[in-house]
Amino acid sequence: MDFSLTEEQEMLKTAARDLLEKECTETVVRETIGRAEGYSPETWRQIADLGWMGLIFPEEYGGIGGSMIDLAVLYEEIGRAMYVSPHLSTVVLCGNTILNAGAREQKDALLPQIVNGEVIMALALTEPESAWDGKAWTPEGVIVKATPDGDDYVINGIKLFVHDAHVADQMLVAARTKEGTGEDGISLFLVDARSPGITCNLLKTMSGNHKQCEVVFDKVKVPAKNIVGELHKGWAPLSKSIQLGAVMLCAEMVGAGQKVLEMTTDYAKTRIQFEMPIGIHQHVQAHCVQMVADIDSSRWVTYLAAWKLAEGMDADLDVAVAKAWTSEANESACWRSHQVFAGVGSTEALGVLPLYTRFGNLDQFYLGDPEHYLKVVAREIENVPTPEKPRGKPLGLWDASQAGLPSWDIWREYYEKAG
Amino acid sequence: MEFGFTEENEKLRKEVHDFFINELPEDYDSQSGARSDRKQEDFQAELVKKAAQKGYTSAGWPKKYGGLGFTPIEQGIVSEQMSYWGVAWPGALGFSLVAPVILTAGTDAQKEKFVPPIARGEAICFECFTEPNAGSDEASVQMRAVENGDSYILNGQKTFISGGQKPDWLYTLARTTDTIPPHRGLSIFMVPGDAEGVSYRPLPTMGGSRQNEIFYDNVRVPKENLIGEKDRGFYLAMTTFEFERSAVSPDARLGMQRLVEFCRTEKKNGKPLIEDPDVRTMLARMAMHQQVMWLAGWYAAWRRTAREKYGPQPYNLTMFMRKQWAPESANMLMNTFGMYGQLEPESRYARYNGSVGMRWESSRMIHAAGTPEILQVVIANRGLGLPRVPRKFNAMINEALSEE
Repeated sequence: MDFSLTEEQEMLKTAARDLLEKECTETVVRETIGRAEGYSPETWRQIADLGWMGLIFPEEYGGIGGSMIDLAVLYEEIGRAMYVSPHLSTVVLCGNTILNAGAREQKDALLPQIVNGEVIMALALTEPESAWDGKAWTPEGVIVKATPDGDDYVINGIKLFVHDAHVADQMLVAARTKEGTGEDGISLFLVDARSPGITCNLLKTMSGNHKQCEVVFDKVKVPAKNIVGELHKGWAPLSKSIQLGAVMLCAEMVGAGQKVLEMTTDYAKTRIQFEMPIGIHQHVQAHCVQMVADIDSSRWVTYLAAWKLAEGMDADLDVAVAKAWTSEANESACWRSHQVFAGVGSTEALGVLPLYTRFGNLDQFYLGDPEHYLKVVAREIENVPTPEKPRGKPLGLWDASQAGLPSWDIWREYYEKAG
Repeated sequence: MEFGFTEENEKLRKEVHDFFINELPEDYDSQSGARSDRKQEDFQAELVKKAAQKGYTSAGWPKKYGGLGFTPIEQGIVSEQMSYWGVAWPGALGFSLVAPVILTAGTDAQKEKFVPPIARGEAICFECFTEPNAGSDEASVQMRAVENGDSYILNGQKTFISGGQKPDWLYTLARTTDTIPPHRGLSIFMVPGDAEGVSYRPLPTMGGSRQNEIFYDNVRVPKENLIGEKDRGFYLAMTTFEFERSAVSPDARLGMQRLVEFCRTEKKNGKPLIEDPDVRTMLARMAMHQQVMWLAGWYAAWRRTAREKYGPQPYNLTMFMRKQWAPESANMLMNTFGMYGQLEPESRYARYNGSVGMRWESSRMIHAAGTPEILQVVIANRGLGLPRVPRKFNAMINEALSEE
C-alpha cells in the first residue's frame, strides 16, 4: 500500500508540467480551441519527440514500455494545463486497441507511426440513437452496419460525437457484421479517413476542448483485411481501451481539479471584501474543504483503477467507481470554485475557470458518465458472495425476550425504570 | 502507486480475520439494538481480553511497552478487520487514546501503573473533556484542579461522556491555571472511576448510545496522576485528537454484502429488491462510497509511514468524509424501508433485524469527537492556510454584537 510516485514518475510529472506551463498558457488554450483543427501541430511534434505517444507501447515499436500509472501521471498534467490534442483518441482509444488485438502487419504499419506522431487516429463508436438512449458505451449502442461485399465490407450509417475525426488520418470504426444487438457481431475496422463516402461535420459544442464530429459513412468500402482483431469479436478489445481511456479522463479531471483548487484557495486568501480576505468566511472555507475532499478522493480511486489495469487484474468495478466518482467530484469542484470566484469566475476575459468547467463537462460524459457506470457498479456487486458468518455459538442477540440488563448499576436502574 | 499488500500483510490479515470469525457469535451484528443487552457487553468484555492477549489492542505500541510494534500499515490491517466485522471494544479509548498518550508523555511509574491493565483489556477509560460550556471549544474547560498538598482537588462537571460500562479511569481535562488564552492553563489527570466525590448520571442518547454526566465534588487526585506537565494538558489533548482521527481503517464490505444479500432475498412489488432500479442505484452509490472510504483510511495509514519524507500530514480527510457519508447512506436505507424503517429490533414486522432505524438515528450524531464544522475549520486553516480571526478578538466581537 503506497500512494507515492516512483522517481521516474516524478521526473515525468515535472518534465510534463514544465513543458505545458510554457507551451500551454491560457492564451494558447483559447487560441487552440478556436482553431478548426483543435490542436497545435507544433506542440504535437514536441510531445512526440518527448516520447508521450510511445509511453505505453513496447520498445519494439519505438515506445518505452511504461505502465498505465505512468500514463495517468502524464494525463494529470495534461488536465492541469488543459492541453488539448488528439492524444487520447490516437494513443489510448485506437493505438492501444491495435496493440492488443491488431494483426502483425497492422501493428507494424501503424504503431511506429503513432509513436512518432506521424498519424492521428479517431475512434468512431457512438451513434445518434445510442448516445441519446444512454447506450453509447454498451454493445447495444452499435447499430451501424458493415455489410460484406466480396473482399470488402461496406459501411453505412452515422457516427456522432467522434473526437478528432476531422483531423484524423485513420479511423477505428465499430460496426455490426452480424445480426444481433449484443457483444457478438461487432467488428472493428481500420478506415482511411480520406476514403470516398466519408463526410466529417464539426459539431458546435460549448467545451471545444476536443473537436467532435458527426461522421457520415455513405457506402464506404473497407477491405476485410482492415478488420482489427477477430471478425464479430471486436467489442472485447475495444472495451479494454475504453476502460483505459476512462481512467485517463479521470486522471485529467484530477489534474484539472487540483489546479482549480489551488486557484480557488489563492483567491480566497487574496480577494478582499468587507476589509477582510473572503477566505475567512466559513462558507467559503466549506467550498474549499469540499473541493479538497473531492479531488483527493478522486486521485485515490483513479490510481487504484490505473494500478489494477496495469497489473492485468479485473478492474471493471474499479474503473466504474473511478469514472463515476471523479466525474461528479470534478463537476462539484468546478461549481464550488464558481461560487468563490463569483463574477470573476464566469467572465471569459478574466480567467480560466470557464474553460475548466466546460472541459470537465466533456470529460464527465465521454467514455461513460456516472449514470452508465453506476449501472456497471450495480451489476458488479449484485453477485457478491453470501456474506461469511462467524462460527461462535449464537448469543441470541436478536431475541429481545432474552436481552439482559447492563452490569453498571446506574444504567441498569435506568432501564429497569424505563421498562 | 501500489494498492496491494505484502505476503506478510496478507498473513496477518488472515490471522486477524480467522480470530474474529472463530470468536464472534454466529448472530453477531454491530447494528444490533443491544442497547441494554448484557450478553453482548459481557461477550465483548471477554473478547477484548483475548484480543489483548494476541496484541491486537496494542498493535501500534512499541514492543518495549508490551505492544506489537506494528507499522501503520499493519495497524491498518487490524483496524480494517475490526471494521469489517463491526467490532468495537468497550474501553476502546484506553487503547487508542489514553495509553498512547501516557506512553508518549507519562513518567515511567505512570506507564507501569496505567498501561498494562489497559493493554490487557481489564481497565475501562472514559475520555472526560466535554462540559456543558466546553464542547467544540475544549479550551474553555471550567473544571478546576486546585493544588492541595500532595494532591489536586477537582471540582466541576463533565457531560456527553460516552461509555456504557463502569469506568476504571476518568481521563480528565481540568483547569489548573487561569490563563489568557484559556488553553494554556489545562492539565490532564487520571481519576479513578470510583474516587470519592465522583458521581454519574445516565444520559440516554439517540441510536441507543449511552452517554453520561459526571460530577466531580471535591475529588482528591494524587499528584502522581497528573499526566505530562501541569498546564500543558491542552496540547496533550490535541495529540489525543490526532490519534482518534487517524486510527480508523474503514472496511464496510461485509456490511455491504449483507445488504446485497438482503436485497437479493427480500421482495418489493413482487420482485427482489435487487431488481428495483432505485435500489440498484442506492447499492451502487454505497459501494462507490465504501471504496472511497477504504482508500481514505489506507491513504492516512500510508501517509503516517511517509511522515519522515513528506512531513506530518497537513490534513486528514477520513473522519470528515465519514461524517458526511454516514447520514447520506443511512438516509438512503431509511428511504428504501419507508415506514418499516422505524420498527425496532424487538418489534413485530421488523425487517433486516430492525437495524435501519438505529443506524439512521446514530447518524444524526456526527458531532462526537469533532463536529464536521470544526473538522472543516481545522482542514481549512491548518491544511489549506485559509485565514481565521485570532481568538483574542472574540470577546470584543461579542461585546460589539450585544451593543448592536
